[in-house]
Amino acid sequence: MAIYEYGARFAGKAVIDWDPETGIPDTEAAIYRISLSWDDSENGERWTDRFSKFLADPASSRVTGIVVGNWGGMGDESSQPVVEALVAARERLPELNAIFLGEILAEECEISWITQTDVSPLFEAYPGLEYFRVRGGNSLRIGTLHHDRLRELGVETGGLSRDVVHGIFSSRLPTLEHLELWLGTDEYGADTTVEDLAPLLSGTLFPRLRYLGLRDSEIADEVAAVLAHAPVLEQVRVLDLSLGTLGDAGAAALLASPATRKLGKLDLHHHFCSDETVAALQGLGMEVDVSDRQEPRSWGDGDHRFVAVGE
Amino acid sequence: MSPGARRFVLVGNPACRRVLLFQDALSRLGLPPPVRVSWLELVTGRANLSQVVQCGDVVRVESPGRDWAVEQALLRLGADAQEDPPYDRLSAREAAALAFERGRIHVPRQWYLGFRHALERLREQLAQCPPHIPMSDPGEIAVMFDKGACHERLQKAGVRVPETLGSPGSFAELRERMVLARCPRVFVKLAHGSSASGVVAYQSNGDRHQAATTTEVVRIHSELRLYNSRRVRVLTGPAEIAELVDALCRHRVHVERWLPKAGLDGHCFDLRVLSIQGTPRHGVARLSRSPMTNLHLLNGRAAMERVRERMRPGAWEAVLDTCRRTAAAFPRSLHAGIDLLIGPDFRRHAVGEVNAFGDLLPGIFHQGRDTYTAQIEAILQLT
Repeated sequence: MAIYEYGARFAGKAVIDWDPETGIPDTEAAIYRISLSWDDSENGERWTDRFSKFLADPASSRVTGIVVGNWGGMGDESSQPVVEALVAARERLPELNAIFLGEILAEECEISWITQTDVSPLFEAYPGLEYFRVRGGNSLRIGTLHHDRLRELGVETGGLSRDVVHGIFSSRLPTLEHLELWLGTDEYGADTTVEDLAPLLSGTLFPRLRYLGLRDSEIADEVAAVLAHAPVLEQVRVLDLSLGTLGDAGAAALLASPATRKLGKLDLHHHFCSDETVAALQGLGMEVDVSDRQEPRSWGDGDHRFVAVGE
Repeated sequence: MSPGARRFVLVGNPACRRVLLFQDALSRLGLPPPVRVSWLELVTGRANLSQVVQCGDVVRVESPGRDWAVEQALLRLGADAQEDPPYDRLSAREAAALAFERGRIHVPRQWYLGFRHALERLREQLAQCPPHIPMSDPGEIAVMFDKGACHERLQKAGVRVPETLGSPGSFAELRERMVLARCPRVFVKLAHGSSASGVVAYQSNGDRHQAATTTEVVRIHSELRLYNSRRVRVLTGPAEIAELVDALCRHRVHVERWLPKAGLDGHCFDLRVLSIQGTPRHGVARLSRSPMTNLHLLNGRAAMERVRERMRPGAWEAVLDTCRRTAAAFPRSLHAGIDLLIGPDFRRHAVGEVNAFGDLLPGIFHQGRDTYTAQIEAILQLT
């Protein structure tokens, strides 16, 4: 499986594909996705050219969010020029509080083929940034952040490097409410272990954390086991372990934890749990998403569980 | 002659589902069963349309596919054709000795040459027949079965098609063309394959390679055999990708830029539109979680209406206009099955393929009519 559709909303607003012909009709309820289309790719137009045209519209100064879509290159061109262009435009985008860097569909470029870059300059350039998402883990560097406004941080990858995880867990993000890390599989570079999650567990790292997503993970059972008895579970309202390989072992740990019952929502969709476990989870009382149950695939040396978004 | 008495002559494989569905449609309209002429008899010279078709008959040509005896006869017919550059071929004797193997891709270029020859024979026979009403045209069918020729015809007609990288003779040549065209993602298709037969969705950034395909390569001693399967495999090793692409190139391929497709219900999709008498009518979105949307009928579907709703009126009108223009490029064909690609922005579109026998769309209705009923009514109105 892979990602085949764009999100309809980001940062609480509708996302509209920016089209030079229709311009920027709404900056209150909408933000804009800037992507290279078929024609642009064939004509050799660059994302930064398109972004310049976007900035040339005076209404762009009131835009609060930008979704960076396909920037072309399909894997051999990193997002560095995109990041540089966004940084250079900081004074022209005074209202900008949301960036999604790389909302790219599998049909455009699979997640493991997206080449990212050091995105930390964006946080320096935009002190008002509240929502930041990035898709693609190759060459991604986030560093150690010190940011006073960031509320949502989402890192979607098919394989997340522990260096990125360490950086985020060494960051000072006092307003962070939503942390979402797609850990992925070792086949595509995932090397985070549950030991790396240690700084998160105490529940003091991000004092305002309400949503914790450790998604698309092939170590979902182990992650569930360490979270089940960690103070952070009492801190958050939503625990999201969806898209991964969670099975009965991880679910049993969650079921045995009193903190689980205090959650507002438990999202486990795309999982490998048995019928009995699914029934027990559904009996927890709060909102539980146990949809999209998967069956292990067997070949060679035994059964294999796959995350939802890998290649 | 009243339309009710109009006689239909149907060229096809007698037990084929398409033939049965067409007969059902005739019968539901109170029309007599068609006079059937089998492909096998035509290809082997045992039947001649000039002895069958009478004045005022409607003549319909159905697919020759899914019949091993016909397949073999077409391969034998194609054995004598000479061409340059030479593609893999079998002698007539070797073709006659082949045993049926499920999914096996034999020598599709030779099959095409045989089919084109049979179509030419059909055209000659029809030319000798008394005045009749053809539902399709042998020459246009031959073009639709040649992906390169079809692409060229559409481009000349001003229809947006994916950029083509032609027919490279090897994987190495394909790589060169991709670099030159700055085209990192391509579809490599057998020039004369149907559905997803011999299709590879290949991408490379120079360092990494990835190919999704339903074609299996089996090596028996020094011989490479190709098979169609229903399972999509992903290859990442350049050597195995080269082996597959090289093997396909020996049967002639047609390569196009892989244009990213839009998504619906968590899948990507393409749109099959059936035009009848130049007008787009039946349509269905074919959903897939692999780059191949035309794998088989088991893939999920969504109503064409769903796609229309996602597009702005102008963009949708442009899609319909493209269908009309595509159909107009084949003016002697009553129907054409058009595969449309819609861009992720739901604004742009292009024509992927045109299918001469693209009307097998069970369960898809337009104004209450299935694809066969709609065609029969359309041709009877013409008469």
